[in-house]
Formats: sequence, C-alpha cells, structure tokens
Amino acid sequence: MPPSIHPVDLVATLRQRNLTPAIIFLTSRRACDEAMQSFERSQVTLPKAQQEQIARVLSQVTEQFPSIAEHPLIETVQRIGVAAHHAGHLPSWKIAVEELMRTGSLDAVFATTTLAAGVDFPARTVVVTQSSIRKARDFTDLTASEIQQLAGRAGRRGKDLVGFAVITPSPYIDLTVLTKGLTGQPEAIHSQFVISYPMVLNLLKAHPREQIQSILAKSFAQFQLNQRTAVLETKLDGLRAEMEPFGPRVCSDWITQWQVFEQARKRKKPRSPFARQESPDVAARLHFLTPGRVVGLTRGRGIILRQYRSKGQHAPMVTLLREGGSLNECPASIVTQVFDRTFDCEETSAYPWCTPQTLDQLTHQLTDLPPRLPVLPILTHQHEEVPIDSSIIQTLGDFACPTCPSRQACQRDFPRASRVRQEIQRHIKSIQALQTSLWHRFQERIDVLERFGYLNANAQLTADGEWARLIRIDHSLLITELIRAEAFGAIDPPLLAAIMASIAHDDDRPGSFPRGSTGLVTLLFQVRKLAESLAPHEAPPMLRADVAALTERWVADQTLTWIGLARLTTMAEGDMFRLFARTIEFLSQLKTLKSTHPSLAESADHAIAAMRRGVLEELP
Amino acid sequence: MTTHELEELLMRQPVSLLHRLARGRISRHFRSGKRKLVDLLLQASAENRPGLESDLQTLIDQHIQPPKPAPVEKTRPVPSPPREAVRATSRPHRTEEHGHHEPPVSLHEWLSGIGVPPPQPFVPDAWQVDALAKLAETDVVVSVPTGSGKTYVAIEATARAMRENRTVIYTSPLKALSNTKFTEFSRVFGPGQVGILTGDRREHAQAPLLIMTTEILRNLLYDAAGGEIDVRLDTLGLVIMDESQYLADPERGVVWEETLIFCPSQARLLLLSASIGNPQDIADWLTAIRPTPCSLIRHTKRSVPLRAGYLHPNEKLTPLFRTAGIPYGQPHLLHPEAKRLFMEYEEETGPSRSR
Repeated sequence: MPPSIHPVDLVATLRQRNLTPAIIFLTSRRACDEAMQSFERSQVTLPKAQQEQIARVLSQVTEQFPSIAEHPLIETVQRIGVAAHHAGHLPSWKIAVEELMRTGSLDAVFATTTLAAGVDFPARTVVVTQSSIRKARDFTDLTASEIQQLAGRAGRRGKDLVGFAVITPSPYIDLTVLTKGLTGQPEAIHSQFVISYPMVLNLLKAHPREQIQSILAKSFAQFQLNQRTAVLETKLDGLRAEMEPFGPRVCSDWITQWQVFEQARKRKKPRSPFARQESPDVAARLHFLTPGRVVGLTRGRGIILRQYRSKGQHAPMVTLLREGGSLNECPASIVTQVFDRTFDCEETSAYPWCTPQTLDQLTHQLTDLPPRLPVLPILTHQHEEVPIDSSIIQTLGDFACPTCPSRQACQRDFPRASRVRQEIQRHIKSIQALQTSLWHRFQERIDVLERFGYLNANAQLTADGEWARLIRIDHSLLITELIRAEAFGAIDPPLLAAIMASIAHDDDRPGSFPRGSTGLVTLLFQVRKLAESLAPHEAPPMLRADVAALTERWVADQTLTWIGLARLTTMAEGDMFRLFARTIEFLSQLKTLKSTHPSLAESADHAIAAMRRGVLEELP
Repeated sequence: MTTHELEELLMRQPVSLLHRLARGRISRHFRSGKRKLVDLLLQASAENRPGLESDLQTLIDQHIQPPKPAPVEKTRPVPSPPREAVRATSRPHRTEEHGHHEPPVSLHEWLSGIGVPPPQPFVPDAWQVDALAKLAETDVVVSVPTGSGKTYVAIEATARAMRENRTVIYTSPLKALSNTKFTEFSRVFGPGQVGILTGDRREHAQAPLLIMTTEILRNLLYDAAGGEIDVRLDTLGLVIMDESQYLADPERGVVWEETLIFCPSQARLLLLSASIGNPQDIADWLTAIRPTPCSLIRHTKRSVPLRAGYLHPNEKLTPLFRTAGIPYGQPHLLHPEAKRLFMEYEEETGPSRSR
C-alpha cells in the first residue's frame, strides 16, 4: 500500500461520496504542486458546464488582475476543477482561486496550512494529512486551536447542512494529536509583548518618563503577569496566616534574634561531628582509599576493598586485603603510604566486599607486585580555624536568650518559622519582579537609545530621536544607524531598494539568484559589519546578498518584465512578491523622513515608483 | 529460541498482535511503532523469556485460527496459559463495561444529510443579535468558531456607526485579507464609502469606513499621540479588529497590544476572534484599561455541524469517531473500523513518529 493516498484517487473518492468542494491540506508547497502535476497526467475532465463556469469566473477576475491571463495553471484548473493555493503563488492568483472556491466552481484545492490563518475560504470538506507543521526549521505538533482553524473551514454557512473533516494518513501523522485537537478546547493565548526601540521613542515623544510605567501597566502582558501575581499573593496570604503564631514574643523580631544567637552560639563551640577526630593527613588520604587501591602499611602492603565509618565513633575504617590473603578491618590511619596503583575490583555489597573471582585475582596481583611502587604525593590541608567574628563574641554576653522565658518556645518554633519567613520573602521578591519586569526591560532600551544618542540623559528625544521614531519596522536600530553613518549619502534608488530588501527578507529558503553589482556588494559588506556591531542590542537581519541583487535588478532595469525576473531566479513568485511588498513598506518608512533627510526620502520615493510596476501595481 | 530468532518471529507478526502481547508488559505501548514495540518487548521480557514465548505462541495460534470458538478450543496447544484465554474471551465484554452501549455510527448514517440547506430568509443568530445589542453599550469581544458569521456583526455595527456619522476603522492582520474585505465591503456599502490604507498607498482615505492592517492603525495612533492630529481619529466611533487572536502572535502580537492600549477612548471596540481558550481574560483586560466596560460574546457551537472521518489510503472511508458528530472532550471514542485501519496503516509504514 502506498504511504498515502494518491491525490487523484483522493479527489475521485471525495467526488464519489459527494464530499466536494474540499480543501486538502498538504505539508508543503512542493506537495501541493506535485499533486497538481499528477492531475495533468490524469484523464479526468469536468463536464462542459462546470468548465464554462470556471472560465467565466476566471475572466471576471482577470479583468481586475490582468497578470492572471497568462498563468500556466489555468488550463489544468479549467479541465479538472482542482487548484493549488499556497504562499508561493502570486496574490492575484490566490484571489482567483479563492473566488473560484467561493462561487463553488472548483472541486478541490490543495493548500498548505498557512491558508488556515486568515483567508475566508470555506468548503464542504477539509482533508487533513498531517499532525505537525514546520515552524522555524522544526516540526511541531499542531495545537488544538490550529486543528480547529483547519476544521473550521469545513461546512459553508447557508450552503451546507454538515461539514466534514477527513483525516487521511501520511507517514508523519499522529492520530492522537488530531483526535485530541478535534475534541479538545482551544489553547489559551498569552501576551507576546516585546519592547522595541521605536516603541520606546514614540512613547517618550508623547509621554514623560514618569508616566511610562502606568502605560506599560495597561498592557495585556502586565494583565497576565498580574494574574500570576494574584496566584502568588493568595499563596502569600496563606503563608502569612501560617506565620501568625510566630508573631512578636519577648523580643519583637525573635526569629532574627534567635538566628543570630544560634549562630553566635555555634561559633563559640562549633560542633563539627567526626571531621575533627581525624588527623589532617588521614582526612586527605581518605579520598584515595578506594576499592582496588594498593597501599603501604607499617608492615607489608595491602589492597583496599572498601572504605566505611565505624558505627560508634564514626572513625574512618578500611577493609584490607593483606599479603597472604587475609582480610582485615582496620582504622584508616593504619595506611602509611598510598601507591599510584589500582586494580579493577568488582564490588559487592557484603563480605568479602568483592566477587570471589576478584578476590582471587587481587590476591595474585598483590603477591606479583614489584618491590618498588610509585608513591602518590598527597597534600595535607592544615585545618584552618575560621576566626569567629569578634563582634558576635562580644555581644554574645548581651543576648537575653539564655535566660529568656520564651526560650523554649523560640527553640521549638525556630526551624518552621524561619522556613516560612524565607518563603514569604521569596514570594514577595517574585511578585516585585513580576510587577516591574516590563519597566526594567523598557529601561534597558532607554539606556541603549541614550548611549546611541537618540535620547538625552532625561530620556527626552534628541534631534536624531525625533526622526528615528518614524522608522517603525523591524531592525529599526540598524536602519537608523545606517542613516546616521551616512551609508545612504547620495544613494541610487536601486541600491537603496536592494539594501532594504536584504534587511526586510527573513526567509532562509535557498535558491539561485542573479549576482549583484560591485557597488551593492561593497555596501552590503558595510551594512553587515554595522549589523554585527549592533548585535548585542538588536538581532541582526539575514542580509542575503542574493535577494538584494534580485531587487536591484528589478529596480535598475525598467524594461525587465515580471516573467523575465522570475526566470532569473528559482524563488517562487509569491515569495518574490512578498519580498518586494515588504521592501516597499520599508522604503515608504524612509519616505516619511522628508523633512530631515530630503535626498534619502527622494531616493526612496524613486525606488518605490520604480518597483511598482507590472504585477506589483495590481493590488492596492 | 535465541533472542535473534525471537526478534525475527516478532517482526513477522502483525502490529495488533504485538500490541496484545505488550499489554501488561509495557506501559503506553500504543504510542510506539512496530520496531520500537519489538525492542521494548524483548527488553521487558528479559527476565521471563519463556513467558513471552509461550504467550506469543498462543496468540499466533489464535491468529491463524480466527476466533471461531469451537476450533480454538480444540487446536489450542496443551499448556495453554489461561491468562490469555481469559483475556481473549473477555474482550467484547470489556468494551461494553466502558459504557459504549450504543453501536458505532455507520458510514451511511455518517454521510447522510449532505446537501444544500433550503434557502431561508436570513435570520441572525442569537449571539449576533446579542453582540450588536451589547455593542451599543460596551466594547465587545467575540470569540466564536470559524465560519460562524462574524462578518455579519462587523457589517451591521459599521452600518450603525455610519448612520451616526462616525468613522469606522477595520483592521486585519494580513494585507491579503484587507484586500478581500475591501472588495467585500465596497460591495455592501458602495465603493465611495470604503477606503483602504496600506504602507504606501491610500484609496478613499477620507471614506467613513477605513480598512487597514493593524500596523497602520498603530502608526496612526502613535502619530496622533506625538501631536500630529489626524481628523479621522476625532470622529472615530468604532474600531473593529478582525482575527484578534493574533494578539498571541510571537512577532506581531505586540502591535495588537499597542493598538488596544492607545485606542481612543471615545471609540467602541469590537474584537473578532476565532475560538480561543481565554477570551474572558481579554475582556477583563479591556475592562480594566478602558473607560467603557467590555463584554464577551462566546460560544463554541458551530453553525454548520462538523463530522470527522478517516480515509484509508485504499480509499476506504469510515467515520473517525463512534458518534456522528465530534465527541467533545472524549478523544478516545474512536470508531473501531477507523482504529483498525489506522493500526494496519501504522504497521505497514513503520513507526509514525520516527522523524
């Protein structure tokens, strides 16, 4: 059996069961295109009437968007009533497919899951072939909201009595993800508040710094942080109630008092359990007395089988295998030398502390040892007495605790009380952190902007800040720094558009592209250097030279047609369109700097005018 | 039998048999594919290899002789482990104990009712009426499933604001969606009444209904706060934000927050969102930061009922769940046929999650 159903058979089954029109969600653009290709070879053709309907709708859309007229897929779509719809297509083509779907002329559309977001595109049936989607190079399971968005396309209001969501397996499907998603609750949404440089500049333009905190407090981010705070506060209330019996006693802050008293008392006669009974050289040697170690004794040599502490005095002890095969339990101090030699020793948990085989082996090895063995030099730490803080010693006599009437109660309650008090302090700290985290992040941004000279020491906009606040796009710091470095001095429109494209483009799809001019390469090198130097403050853009070169061509060569441009690269038309649309958006931000940077604004204006032609002119 | 022989024997068995073998030996065995399952079985039975072998033998015998009760009795090898026998016979009872007294829905039933509803005069749903009524008094957050008719609410609310000579701003997350809405609203309100603003192009920028992406509205609001007064904001009566679940978009969500924080207080807000888990939080948030309170309109019932199906690569179609509709909150109520087919599929294609 094939790993998944063939697209032609899939559509045939849906048709036969009267489940069309259907949207079939596939994992990738390529899968959609391949599905379309498999139809080109198939013999299926639509009835005449439906073919005519498709032609009619298409001609209507073509009036609005002439670029569709030469679309290579038109013939197939018309013959078989199936289309593909994904981000690699031009928006005008996508609109045509949407319109065909809305009028009910198509039987099926192959789409990627990106369709689920936003496009009004219902059908009788949706077919799901995957349980995960590619997000930032990695596959993640679809969430319940996403699955319900997909399934939500099924069933057209007023046109269908029921909608169908059909799952058909493909190799990477996990049925439980889908069934849970279909039957479950959509996920709660969480704020994604980030503080950007333009946000800081624009807020400080309109409001003094003192008011910012109250503005940030109005964000959904803070609202959700406050919800977490509320949880912590109930916990805190609980802890405070727990703290009640430990209120003021003879002294108001008895916990601290007792803590200090305890410390002082411990310092005075420190109770360190058994460490003190060992001489420093034994203590230092102990680490080396591991099973299998050869050691020197006052008479002869031995092999350590285990190390332990005696029951009563906790004296360090070892079990020794002596020459001649006798096993002795001796104090560790019997060891006079530690040799640089260990044997494998398979330990067991009971006498003789190793397996019989090991014991035999060790006995032999011990007798076979050469007379001279390298001795391990062991450094002995002289135990240093920590000097007791003299102030505590002096005040120890001042403590009232030893004779205090509540001494017993204090002693009894102290461990619990001090634990609860620590918890309370921890909670208070985290509540404070939740309440001020946004403001701290804002201040960090202020500091950076101040260092770069967009803000003065009073957090007011400088002359540079005044125009920089108008650049409200991603990578704004890089762009404003480029402007200040006069990288765009008297720049040609094609070069400017190319640089903006490389900043705007954030897709890492590989492909083949035309080469850029030398001027572009040099300039891009400078931009890259600047972006790297800004990296601690702003994530650098990808700055791909290839997409820059593509944009440069489009702007510089006014005779180049869209089809001609598409032939220069393997980039999908839809991606090209999005790249240019985003570049125009970036350029139009530069255009707003008319009053401060007239030549740059003019250059941007020219670049936009040069870019808007052909397909790019069709859409508002 | 050596481990190697046993492994080969196991690999030759169908996955369903392996799953039966894994019962009580491996926890969560249903999550693993065939290869993994065999490995786990070998690991789990390292201590009791003969037990596994005899159970396996019994199951193979049962498998070869399909469950005709009498022959099974006869052909069963002499040292039959009673445990397995009890299990095999008690299986049908067990499913009944779990409470599925109703038989699973048949394909015919599941497919019935396909068709076009008879044309009927448009009557707005209760929630739509409710949303419009609430909007007269308060801001409104609407969280309903996709395709419930949010656009109707948007159009009616817009018409009302326009009658009062107020400007309406409609924002959408995507330019493509803005364009669709521009065409759609131009059809409803007349071409001169609808304007569209994108990054660098404006059409009918003084029209009473303006469509734009949320970023553009944010920029307008920032400009206004910075002192560049835009007349349209003074007469602004209603801001409609479509697809407001974008509030949680990792990259752009912040724009929705900024827009909502700075949205002029005299304008009503209408947030249209797909089903989300915590719409009440958004309503509470808006109530907290804006002078007007915010009501929530929420329902989870789809206007067109949904049914889920399973289509096997061999073109066999079955319902996915035992019930015709979606059994909300009960993902385990799979249709036995779909379950069997999917197991078969997994068995033939190997572990599903081996990526």
